Amino acid sequence: MADDPRASRAAPDPGSIEGGISCRSVSSGYLGKAVLKGISFDIDRPAIYVVLGPNGAGKTTLFRTLAGILRPYSGEVWVGGERIGLRSARNRLHYLSHMDGIPDGLRVRETLDFYARVERASPADVDRVLDLLEIRPIADRFLTALSAGQKKRLSVARTFLREREIYLLDEPTTNLDPKAAREIRELILGLSQNKIVLYSSHNLFEAREIGQYVLAIKSGQLGVFDRLENLRTARYVVGVRVLEASAALADWPREGDYFLRELAGPEAVPALLRDLESRDVKIREVREMNNPLEELFT
Amino acid sequence: MDPPTKDPTLLGITVRRSLVLGRMFLLAGLIYAVVFSLVLGLTAGPGFDEAFPLLLPVFAVIASMGALMVFSSDRIKGVLEYLLAYGFSSRRLFVNVLLAGFVLAVILVGVSTAVGLGVRFGSGQGVSAVFVELLLAYGLPMTFASVGFAVTVGMYWTSLSSPRSGINSPVGLAPIVGIAPPLITLVLVGFLAATTSLPFELVAGPAVVVVALVVLALLAQVDRLLPLERLLSPT
Repeated sequence: MADDPRASRAAPDPGSIEGGISCRSVSSGYLGKAVLKGISFDIDRPAIYVVLGPNGAGKTTLFRTLAGILRPYSGEVWVGGERIGLRSARNRLHYLSHMDGIPDGLRVRETLDFYARVERASPADVDRVLDLLEIRPIADRFLTALSAGQKKRLSVARTFLREREIYLLDEPTTNLDPKAAREIRELILGLSQNKIVLYSSHNLFEAREIGQYVLAIKSGQLGVFDRLENLRTARYVVGVRVLEASAALADWPREGDYFLRELAGPEAVPALLRDLESRDVKIREVREMNNPLEELFT
Repeated sequence: MDPPTKDPTLLGITVRRSLVLGRMFLLAGLIYAVVFSLVLGLTAGPGFDEAFPLLLPVFAVIASMGALMVFSSDRIKGVLEYLLAYGFSSRRLFVNVLLAGFVLAVILVGVSTAVGLGVRFGSGQGVSAVFVELLLAYGLPMTFASVGFAVTVGMYWTSLSSPRSGINSPVGLAPIVGIAPPLITLVLVGFLAATTSLPFELVAGPAVVVVALVVLALLAQVDRLLPLERLLSPT
């Protein structure tokens, strides 16, 4: 696959996953009301694809449609070269919904046994996941005794019971504290070495940290589908914080303590620093001000 | 890839969860049934023989609500969504919960009947042929038909409504729905007995069949009547 993920799949990338995910003019929604409106894309390169968009844009609807839970009103969804809905297509993907999906009335280990039964994983897989997600110490607790973060960790644990080719992860780090969220992200990053991971998040910095591609959905349509690094260069604004006022920055726009300057990209920062130093500006800090992904939410 | 193995059954785990979530309902049903069996069982006369089989469906409906609680909880918490993503059909999810409801009913029928018979035989009274006849012709069939009706209608209702808690929720109101078939049947029997000479079996038998057919029809049509999105958490 070429860098443009929407490029033709006529000449597949040697590292691609056969079939991948293919959406063709998919419209889908709830009770006859379309939320997704004619979305098309092809994905076959193993990577993390961050799905972004404002609330109600259709992110969860997209995940549910790809998982085969919502049947498209029109268009087609193919997974692994097979139409979604067939058992063989479902077996190639794992879906983690934004809801915890934890059955009430069980202990932690019993919950994992429940998931293992559904996913045809073995007791050994349950033991491995208890250690991987560091939930063995709470294995005998009832769910009512767990914090929201522990529940989320348990919910995410099922992602690692069985190896799949495609992972649909809808807000997998919601309710997790920063340390736990980072640990989950690292596990997911490990997954993405040879898998396709669609990952939705409201956390733009997380999205930037983990993603290689961005799918931005707005009003049920695919707004942007590009490499994250291409978005980074689209609008790169740095803020310069100085030790003392300088006439050299008098006509620069300000945001708080920072004087703003739009650059072509991170590679232009050294030249800016040299220029400011030559004009005797005492620099305290230079940092990137805008996360370009913010624009995708507006 | 997965080998083409048989679909996993979730009945055992659903029953266990129903026992945990619905333990107060089960306990209430058992207490009513056992107290009733003790009081009438120790009383001389035909009271136990005639009343126990008629009231058994009411106790069983109360006891089986744990299964409906599992369904309601699973819908709200996204468990149904998870199972749908793994290819479980809505009918299969419904049947799984319904069977769990039947298991709870079996527990109630077993315990209360054992207590009742124990009291009757322990007190040297035994039971009459009327008891056996009513239990087999009406009590047991109507018990499972009513439980099936309460649980199935409750699942439909839960799927079609926004999550509510307490007595105003489908789970809170399902026992009232569930006791309607035996109650209406008994009223009908009483009315017809007073106005005609129609035997009890000719009213009770068709009533059981009608309720059972309604349950079967609702189960058969669930994929058509309930779009999958109805089973997703509305939150």
